Amino acid sequence: MNAPTRNPEIQTRELSYAEAIREAMGMALARDERVILMGEDIGVYGGAFQVTGDLVERFGPDRVRDTPISELGGAGVAVGAALTGLRPIFEFQFSDFATLAMEQIVNQAAKMRYMLGGEASVPLVFRMPAGSGTGAAAQHSQSFEAWFGHVPGLKVLQPSTPEDAKGLLLAALEDPDPVVVFEHKLLYKLKGHVPDGWYTTPIGKAAVRREGRDLTIVASAIMVHRALAAAEKLAEEGIDVEVIDLRSVRPIDHETIIASVRKTGRLICVYEGVRTLGIGAEISAMIAESEAFDYLDAPILRLGGVEAPIPYNPELEKAAVPQAPDIEAAARKLARKEV
Amino acid sequence: MAKDDNTPFAIRRYDAETLREALRKMYLIRFFEEGAEDSYTRGLIHGTMHLSIGQEASAVASCLPLTDDDKITSTHRGHGHCIGKGAEVGRMFAEFFGKEEGYCHGRGGSMHIADVTKGNLGANGIVGGGIPIAVGAALTAKQLGTGAVTICFFGDGANNEGAFHEALNIAAVWKLPVVFVCENNKYGMSTSTERSTAVKDIAQRAAAYSMPGVTVDGNDFSAVAEAVQEAVDRARRGEGPSLVENLTYRWRGHSKSDRNRYRTKDEIDSWIARDPILRFREELAAHGVLDASGADAIEAAARREVEDGIAFAKGGTDPTIADVTKYVYAEARS
Amino acid sequence: MATEVILPKVDMDMESGLVSAWHIAAGSPVSKGDALFDIETDKAAMEIEAPASGILAHIIAPEGTKVPVGNAVAWIYAEGEAIPEAAPGGGATEAPKAEPAPATAQAPGKCGTVASQPALTEAASRAEAPEALDEPRPRATPAARAAARQAGLDLARLVGSGPQGRIQSEDVAREIEARQRPAPAAPAAPEPAARRSDPEPLAAPAGWSERPGDLAVTRRKGQGSGTPIVLVHGFAADATGWAPLEKALGNAREIIRVDLACHGRSPLKKIENFAGLARLAVQAFDGLNLEAAHLVGHSLGGAIATTIADIRPRLIRSLGLIAPAGLGPEIDGDTLMGIARASRAESLAPWLKRLAADPDAISWDFAQAAMLSRMDEEMRAAQRDLAERLFPDGTQGFDLTGALGRVEAPLRVIWGRQDAILPWRHALRAPDHAGLHLLDKAGHIPHIERPEACAKVLRDLFGVAEAASRG
Repeated sequence: MNAPTRNPEIQTRELSYAEAIREAMGMALARDERVILMGEDIGVYGGAFQVTGDLVERFGPDRVRDTPISELGGAGVAVGAALTGLRPIFEFQFSDFATLAMEQIVNQAAKMRYMLGGEASVPLVFRMPAGSGTGAAAQHSQSFEAWFGHVPGLKVLQPSTPEDAKGLLLAALEDPDPVVVFEHKLLYKLKGHVPDGWYTTPIGKAAVRREGRDLTIVASAIMVHRALAAAEKLAEEGIDVEVIDLRSVRPIDHETIIASVRKTGRLICVYEGVRTLGIGAEISAMIAESEAFDYLDAPILRLGGVEAPIPYNPELEKAAVPQAPDIEAAARKLARKEV
Repeated sequence: MAKDDNTPFAIRRYDAETLREALRKMYLIRFFEEGAEDSYTRGLIHGTMHLSIGQEASAVASCLPLTDDDKITSTHRGHGHCIGKGAEVGRMFAEFFGKEEGYCHGRGGSMHIADVTKGNLGANGIVGGGIPIAVGAALTAKQLGTGAVTICFFGDGANNEGAFHEALNIAAVWKLPVVFVCENNKYGMSTSTERSTAVKDIAQRAAAYSMPGVTVDGNDFSAVAEAVQEAVDRARRGEGPSLVENLTYRWRGHSKSDRNRYRTKDEIDSWIARDPILRFREELAAHGVLDASGADAIEAAARREVEDGIAFAKGGTDPTIADVTKYVYAEARS
Repeated sequence: MATEVILPKVDMDMESGLVSAWHIAAGSPVSKGDALFDIETDKAAMEIEAPASGILAHIIAPEGTKVPVGNAVAWIYAEGEAIPEAAPGGGATEAPKAEPAPATAQAPGKCGTVASQPALTEAASRAEAPEALDEPRPRATPAARAAARQAGLDLARLVGSGPQGRIQSEDVAREIEARQRPAPAAPAAPEPAARRSDPEPLAAPAGWSERPGDLAVTRRKGQGSGTPIVLVHGFAADATGWAPLEKALGNAREIIRVDLACHGRSPLKKIENFAGLARLAVQAFDGLNLEAAHLVGHSLGGAIATTIADIRPRLIRSLGLIAPAGLGPEIDGDTLMGIARASRAESLAPWLKRLAADPDAISWDFAQAAMLSRMDEEMRAAQRDLAERLFPDGTQGFDLTGALGRVEAPLRVIWGRQDAILPWRHALRAPDHAGLHLLDKAGHIPHIERPEACAKVLRDLFGVAEAASRG
């Protein structure tokens, strides 16, 4: 499965993030008999977030398989199928429910190749609708990227745009190892240009979404958009913010982040998962250990989720994760050397 | 020699060569585990191990209906399944000794021995961990139409894991070609099935998932072979999964740390008296498949094979320390 | 088996710690979990618990010793275990060396300039005690450190413009730029956080030249053992101006006075801006090696005290500010220049009267005495240069509102309602937790006009602060 290199002249259309994912899955199903989709209510229902949509009509219920509400069993079946030659894409209805399947994801899928000394391969994609902002409260709104990012053997992705949602899913599908893709639920309706045809977005490569001189914001998923909004506001004040879209939590693109911090000397990590022991800690530590350390001219800041479950009340829910004004305020303080 | 209705199933169904090979594998398992135990005592093996001495009939008879295209998933007490599915004891010992020549190049050890080329998808350190995986392998077979069957070995302890119930249900709903073989050796570590399991026979669980369930004497080679063969045939016909419960006993403790406080010497001795290897050997003799000298020769050959295996493993190569993160991910495609 | 007691790492970037007190004497029994000794780092003071029960022995790091993290400071022997002559873990040549940190110098009986005089401690004579480390490292960003390293600059010579006086790369860049200017040779200090247009480089000063040496510090020992008071005087004043307040404060505590550069007994220094003046004062303060201090400053000295409190928050128990500078732009520049120019009592007296609420309080004797201490024309010239730098066009060119806002220590601001030099309304810029005391019948020098009232406020402050630090 060699990825065709991206042709810049390729045609693009406006698609939503969810449509881009569906398009990727449809292309994969059409291209390779070994690809199957598994998940709860992904068939005629079209998926809880209508991501699989009409795929069952096009490919039938054997290829687009509704599983019982058995996350552990379902995930394990996907592991066994991947181990023996299928290329399953397993949808968790909410990433929160993956906690029921941690055994299979962490003990089995992630470790199989290693435990078997490289003699086995588990090419498997877990799709995880994640994040807060939908009023679904504590058990349907979490951001577990860092949890899974802590497991060697997994790859963990967080696309922020429709183009990457398709490109990273296809890259995950081509990858010989298990890949966990976190899809932010608030992004499903986001529209953007999506190239036609089969293309892959490289795993482990961050994207510089906005260049700037004064400070670097590394953000992921929806936080990329909030950081860009904050950067636009700060630009009016003459503060020039560089925004990096992490895209891949594991592996992390050290190079792009280090190069940016070397340039700006200031870093803010913005992520939706709980602030403590999260992505920001990893990036901060990575910078502290890197050659960018000598270029740091201020403490590194982390903006992450509060140390609490996601609350129901809409104002509390907003307050529980970084919002654009929070990012703006933190960046302003850092740029003004008040930190 | 007449093979009437009183002749055991195995004698009727399999040719003499297959049966002699089965006896050889049972001896290999016994001597492999005794050799592993001895190596452990001598400090040649680190970590722990879970020995299946006394359960050899279950492992070998269950694998008898399988070809190399068929799959098994195994358990932490998996050496027998591994040998039953055709593994070489030399490479198994090498894995035990942590050598590059081992099946997992020294990365897996006793609890993760696998031989994917022979359809052994691996032992598993998690109780019940292999059950959904077996179902997944069966899904592959059905989806791609390979005709392969998967045998899923698990112990009595696993029948109380959620994964067991979820996986059996999925296998039944999707009518997948998988045979669940429960090796009920009466204890999940120290806790007896009486104290842990609501049903008397684990095979009764099958009713909940609308699949056939049968309990057999797991130390009776032919009884196991008959039950599993029927289940495998059913799976190959596309009629879905079955559950076979083999009642058996591990002579040794749960692992090397077991002090045997939960069972009596009398109980252990009564099971040793029902040694599945001796029973099978006598059965073969009784039906004229193999005389005493022929069986002795097989036993001696198995012993030599184990000794050679240990020698091979001792001479193995230690992994390079720099390779500690090798095999976490596939090597980058060039 | 003896249990080694090590100097633990209690702070992320900690490399060493100062053993500041032992709670258990060598040879005494100790229980696991007992408070065993105190350590101090750049950031924190902390009590360390005994790691085991037994008899404490071989204290190789006595009080005042700096010890690298992880090195042994003592051993605990089990009850009944034989205690050997020498500490375990090797002989004199193997074990790391220890030297005492410069101990707090003891002033001779009367006030006098104190020379740095390291006290000989037990550890100094012991070969096996840990190695002495350098003074606390300046607070600086990695980028500033890298830039300074590359340029061969000593960060200790800079005062940072960042929070808590953190030296940032632009501070180093400014220093490098200043050094590259052809004249003068004086090291240019960075500016405080609030930017103003760069002053012209200091022209070769008219009529005075730099004098070598550190700032003068005088100490008056107290009878009690309370935390000492450090006093910082205002522009054109000196340590002697504190006499009325000192009398009112009584002699319970040690009083330490710092003469600012170009003032009193301190040497004349080329000062480019406020930060340059502050830097020397911080160095003088650091040189005192105090464990803690109550800091009191008047006018320009109030601004300096604020800077010290911002940079050395851990050492400051309280901050008392008397009509401090740096909280607003307005200042009576004419009076400052008038005082700095005056070469005789006749021309000095009228300006001095502007300082007080009641001009008659400034007697002829007072003016004559003040003039006596200002007979050095070079000093007066240096002060005029300084006034030009600090108060260009009769405006306070530095703003310490932010720094004062960061001071967490108990804080009181005293101001005379009739202050004609600095308007008392600047006091309203003090942070919320500051106590504000507006004194009637007082001008710009309430510590001279109403010393008892000032002393009462300050004694209160010291008491509250010490109760808080004990609590």
